[in-house]
Amino acid sequence: MVGEALNLSVRTVVVWCRDLEGDAPGFESVLAVLDDITPAVEVMRVGVCAFVARGPARYFGGEVALADLIVARIASSIEAMAGATNGVRVGIADGPFSAWLAARSAAPIHIVDPSCSAEFLAALPITVLQNRELVEVLARLGLGTLGAFAALKPADVLARFGNEGLRAQRLAQGLDDHVPKGKLPSTDWSVACEIDPPAQRVDKVAFHARSLATELVHNLESQGLCCVRVAIAADTEHGESMLRVWRCEGTFSAAAVAERLRWQLDGWLSGRVGGSRQRPTAGVSRVVLTPQEVVAAGQSQVDFWGTGNMSDNDCQAVRVAARLQGQLGVEAVRVPVTAGGRHYREQLKLVPAADVELLGRSFSVSKSTNTANGSANGDAPWPGSLPSPAPAQVLSSPCAVEVLDVAGEVVVVSGRGVLSAKPYALVLNSQRFEVVAWAGPWPIHERWWDARRHRRQVRLQLLTTDGLARLVVREAHQWSIVAVWD
Amino acid sequence: MVAVVAESVAESLAERKARLRLVAERVAPLSLAKERTLPLIPAVSDLFVGGTLPRGLVVAVNGVGATSVALILAAGASQAGSWTAFVGSEDLGLAAVAESGIALERLLVVSHVGVRVDVVAALLDAVDVVLVDASLRLRHVDLRRLSARLRERGSVLIQVGASKQLGVDIGVQVMASQWSGLGDGFGLLRSRKLEVCAQGRGVATKARHISLGLQPESTSVDAEQMWLARRLTCL
Repeated sequence: MVGEALNLSVRTVVVWCRDLEGDAPGFESVLAVLDDITPAVEVMRVGVCAFVARGPARYFGGEVALADLIVARIASSIEAMAGATNGVRVGIADGPFSAWLAARSAAPIHIVDPSCSAEFLAALPITVLQNRELVEVLARLGLGTLGAFAALKPADVLARFGNEGLRAQRLAQGLDDHVPKGKLPSTDWSVACEIDPPAQRVDKVAFHARSLATELVHNLESQGLCCVRVAIAADTEHGESMLRVWRCEGTFSAAAVAERLRWQLDGWLSGRVGGSRQRPTAGVSRVVLTPQEVVAAGQSQVDFWGTGNMSDNDCQAVRVAARLQGQLGVEAVRVPVTAGGRHYREQLKLVPAADVELLGRSFSVSKSTNTANGSANGDAPWPGSLPSPAPAQVLSSPCAVEVLDVAGEVVVVSGRGVLSAKPYALVLNSQRFEVVAWAGPWPIHERWWDARRHRRQVRLQLLTTDGLARLVVREAHQWSIVAVWD
Repeated sequence: MVAVVAESVAESLAERKARLRLVAERVAPLSLAKERTLPLIPAVSDLFVGGTLPRGLVVAVNGVGATSVALILAAGASQAGSWTAFVGSEDLGLAAVAESGIALERLLVVSHVGVRVDVVAALLDAVDVVLVDASLRLRHVDLRRLSARLRERGSVLIQVGASKQLGVDIGVQVMASQWSGLGDGFGLLRSRKLEVCAQGRGVATKARHISLGLQPESTSVDAEQMWLARRLTCL
């Protein structure tokens, strides 16, 4: 994590009932009130609780309204019981840590604007950090505020204070990635092992992981369970960590878990995983396996030839998908799923292969995509979608072009969806193609009720002299190609 | 009652025989070249000797409509239970893939900046048909490496829209493309006719020409008129 400034903080509400600290039964009634607002309240300690702001804030009309509502409801409930009303504080900010400090400020309601948590925290004294030893040392070093601590180089903090210090610094920077969850986790089946001395090479880690995987599978088996999804986390000596979730067709055997770990670390240790993730700077010192989805054993029976219902083809395809995901990252290998929409890009979508069961899927759309009578998938009509044939190329980023009339003027579309002139030529990257045949304009006006996602466009099918048919749209006074019938 | 029992016995017998055949195939010491093929859908079967797609080949498809033709070449194998992989840019039209007859439930799409030849090689080991587009610049050396692997594993690599080069076993060229249905300000793209020519090495030295008519099943005149009528009411 060194050097990475990934902000995974989630807007969080913290409710602090000052008068009810230590009064568990009294606080319980406050929680009952909050249960009406959100189903997932996480109790930090008696008197303080947190929950994710997004859902309730949208439902109750914004964060301000939500905070007012919380204060009002709690006040009425406490009044009914005892009469002490002025001890309720609500803080809303990015992440529970900032939200908690916002709740502690003087005002009954304190809302820190999104992504302003760092500025808010910077002015606060260092003593708000929970780690007392760390606070003492930092104070002696002359770092009186969170801002001063946050400004230090993460690498230096890690070198001097270790992982604990780095975590504290991330909090001080407003990068609190803890997400409050309402429910207690069910039985924790995770197993971990320390590798000492830390292993630099994949095969050494795999050696340790093998026995760890055996232990995991054995633990589950003794309860009559099998694992179908497992999270594998590896930490290095320098605090870098890599977590990846693996799903298996059928159930995981010890060998399969070890194999997944090998694929995952292979990509990471050799520095081949793309994106912001870099090669770790130290050996792997700890491996944790956490089963995320367990099923009763015996639900998937392997037949005599060892492949169950899977053919050779299926087995190999599933394995290669998993292997490439290990090498390139989960996003690399994707499979189509049915979605809904008028536009070609929306009807079928690509999702990472790890997110779906690869085998036994079926597509109701299949080849008779019934867009002709206005339905992109079986259950929803999408009036305005174009009938088949579908274009073989649907551009991920539309390509700007000009559509000209005979006089060389740009063809425009009036507010009522009428073309100013017949399209005569298409100019693409200063290349000019004459239009052989065309049809349209077909207007489309979507989500007019939503200011952000609102779209209004007009579509034309153009067949040009180069033999290609293209779908050209005009949106926001600009013509662009969105699809090509190649 | 007896008849029912007899039928189920016969059925299970046939099933067992099929399984036995499968096992026999798996342990067979050798396979003949003519057995190492992938099925093609009837519309394009005349493009290849024997009406099937020989395994272990590099096929390059070029011209206007190359993507459609490449998808149709892959469709026969996909319908018969093979997996298909597409490697390349993000621009693949999935609805067109479905219309070409490829089984979407057996399709993997790898479009990622870090894709290199070794990724294609890994896919070729596991998947019967791998389509790569021009965004993945495969050089002659890469193709030679890949084709050694192809021959061993028996999969097919289809290159879409790459310029002609060494290392390609069969070149499929779309000579002409003709659309119908679209007029001067009216109508809709409905069907197209492609003149396709295949020529290559070995038994495929002699060029084979076919004319390929692509007409989506669902576009009956009724459906189209309904669509146009609906558009008019919208306006």
